[in-house]
Parts: sequence; structure tokens; C-alpha cells
Amino acid sequence: MVSSIVHAGFALVLAAGLLRGSYDRRALAVVLAIVLLPEADSLLGPVMSGAHRTVGHNFVFPAAAALLIYYDTRIREESAIRERFADRGVRIAWVALFVHVFAHVSLDWAHLDGVNVLWPLHDSFFRLEGELVWSSADGLVQTFVDVELDPETGDRRVDAGSTGTTQSVHVNNPVEPDDPEALAEAETIDRRFPVAGRGWRLYLLGLGLFTVIARKLQGDPPVGSTE
Amino acid sequence: MAPTLLNAALGALLAAALLGPAFDGRTVSVVVAAAVLPNLDAVASLAVAGATNTLLHNVWIPLALAGLLYWDTALRERSTLRERHGWRGVRTAWVVLAGFAAAGVAPDLFGTPGANLLYPIEDAYYVVDGLLLFSTQDGIVQTFVSATADGPGLLPFESTGTTETRAIPTWVNPDGRPGLALGAEREFVVVEAGWQAVVLASAVASLAVRFRPRTRASAETGDHAGDAGEASR
Repeated sequence: MVSSIVHAGFALVLAAGLLRGSYDRRALAVVLAIVLLPEADSLLGPVMSGAHRTVGHNFVFPAAAALLIYYDTRIREESAIRERFADRGVRIAWVALFVHVFAHVSLDWAHLDGVNVLWPLHDSFFRLEGELVWSSADGLVQTFVDVELDPETGDRRVDAGSTGTTQSVHVNNPVEPDDPEALAEAETIDRRFPVAGRGWRLYLLGLGLFTVIARKLQGDPPVGSTE
Repeated sequence: MAPTLLNAALGALLAAALLGPAFDGRTVSVVVAAAVLPNLDAVASLAVAGATNTLLHNVWIPLALAGLLYWDTALRERSTLRERHGWRGVRTAWVVLAGFAAAGVAPDLFGTPGANLLYPIEDAYYVVDGLLLFSTQDGIVQTFVSATADGPGLLPFESTGTTETRAIPTWVNPDGRPGLALGAEREFVVVEAGWQAVVLASAVASLAVRFRPRTRASAETGDHAGDAGEASR
């Protein structure tokens, strides 16, 4: 996993931008809890092959959650969320979902073996890696998705960074820091809890802290202005 | 320099997070412009050797601006800025400064080729890149800060060279040295890694949410009144 702390850092930046008038310590706590929760799928690792980056890291559950919130708040006559937590609760629910998709699943998508994008509909890990460059010699070049044309048969093969299935992919995490088979034979197990594995991850973490501290130091807006 | 669009995206995210009631199309554009501004030192490198990631990528400009802003808005009896542009002007100025420093300069520090942080007092490109983790076998492992780092700099970070030894290629100046290289191949990097694409998409989505037409949003969820209540609480 990209360290949970890095997810939390980027999540704070996004949440501060989206919560508007609902921004306070409790709302941030809810958002952070939603950001940390999916890592619990690493606990399923010992009983389910490839559970980490699969059960809590896909785009199917967030889509389902979005439909549920939409149904509850817009279609039903009496919304359960609004009734219990008022409009503020509706906004926090949407922001938490947004943050889960962009600060957690998407960042992990761009890291190591990626995430199991369409699980449980389709079992395949994908990794988002590449670059998009405009060159004066070659024009627009992107390496995120490889498209290969077989010159003889004319078949097109599209590779969007597929790295395998739950059977073949194991993403290391503190619960299972190595391939389960290697772990069974290992004498000592080195569990590693990353804080930041690269400079840019330290940057995102720092940006989150910066945002929260800046919000704290800011003067109050004049009475009557709305965000 | 980091990809220009990455600076712009980070600037937009900071603007959304920090502007508060001063958030609107104009103020966001100003913050995004400030985040992109440091990259202009690549243009200066056409005439001045080693200007890229040096002239506008140091700590002195943000520090001086912060000092000036603090003096005007907090220490002086009558603030020129507040008198002319009111509360919004003061808030926007601080966020513009944050955009310049945190979204414009800082991203270059955390990856190659680095930023010439203390220029002109000292001439060394710094890179803060490495890892920090806790291991049950090795304890805390970190390689971001190293007191014994080789290189020209005083700060305990990895250094990639000086303006003499290091030329940073950009699309403005493909070989990084003074002079127009008109025939050379130019590469404009939109994003150079998966995570940058994620940041870019997050910024676009965030702005789309924030600029969602107000009438529709309030008609559907009725949250406009709720906002007003919360802000004036």
C-alpha cells in the first residue's frame, strides 16, 4: 500500500476543498476513518488469496455506494441520512466517497501491482503507470495504455497495465509482508510499516498537514459571507 | 521543473481548500497562476546560465513575501491591502503565496532534478527523496535526511549539483543552457507518473464539484441555507 499516512495527507487536502461549511474536526475524523478502513482487507489476506488491494480497493463498491447515497437522498421521500445527520451528513457522505476514490483507490492504482479495479465483477489487477508527453518530434505520446497491432493478423491487443489476478498477485503489507508461501518458510518476519516510500509521498503528506494548519491559522471570515 | 499541469492542479486543490468564502473563478485563477509562475525561471535560463529551478525556486522569495504580507496585515496600524481589497484581498493574498510556495516551488524539491533552495546565498540543487518506514526488524529506517551527504550543499539533503554542473532540460530550453536551440526536439511533459495523473484528475473533479451551478445544488439538496447558518455560527 501507499502508506495510509500518505492517503490521509492527500485526503485532508481534498476534504478541506470540498467540505465547505461542514469543515470541522468531526467531519475530518469521518473522512479519515473512511480512508483508513479499506486497509482492513489486508487482514483477510491469510484466508483469501490476494484479498489486499481487492476487497477494499476497487471501483465497484464506490459506484454502488454512490448509487445508494443518490437513491437515499434524492429518490426516496424520506432520506435516512438526512433524517439522522441533516444536510451536513449528506455532504460529508459524498465527500468521504470522493476522498475514498481519489485519495485511496486511485493512488494505490498507481503503486506497485495496482488495485483490482473491477472486483468482484472481474478479477484482474491493473496498475496505472506511464507518462503523457507532447514531443515536437513524435507528437503526443502516452504510455499508460499499450495498444499493440499484430501486423499479420490485424489483431489488436490492449494492455491497460494488467498485472494478474487474485491468484497470482500479492501486494505486500504489514500483515503479510511477503508472498504467503515465502512467509511460511521464513524464520524471522520483517513487518514494515511505511510512512513515505518516495519524495512525492512525503510531499503529499506534508501538503495535508500544511492545509490543516493553514485552515487553523486563518482568520474567521466576516459575518454574512458564505462558502 | 515539475510538469506545469501538476503545479496548476496542486494550486487548484490548495485554492479550493484554503480560499473559503473568497473562492470564485477569479481568485482560483490567480492562485493557479501563482503555482505555475515559478516555472517561468526556465524562460530566464535561455539568457542566464542555470536559471531553471533556481531563480524562482528558492525559499527567499516566499519568505520575503510572507514577511511583507504579515507586516502589512498584522503589524501596521492601517493595512494597505485590507483598505484597498478588504477581507477577500487579504485571504486571497495569503492563498496565492501558499500556491506559489507549496504548489509551485515545493513539488520540485521532492523529486529530481531538485530545487536550488538557498540560491543566491548558496548554489546547490537539493532533492528530498528517499523512504521512511518502521520495520519490526530494523526499527525506523529513513533516507530522506542524511547528515553525511556528498555534494556541494550545506543542508542535510541529497544534492544533485550546482548551476555550473547541472543543466536542467525543459520544453522551453531543451538543453538547459543559454541560447535558443531552435532545431532541438522539445518535450512538453503533461504527466510523468501515474500518481500525477491521479492528482490532476482529483483537481479537475474537485473544481467541477465546487463550481457546480449554485442554483441547481441548492434547489436539489437545500444546502445553501445550511451553509449560511454554518458560516455565520
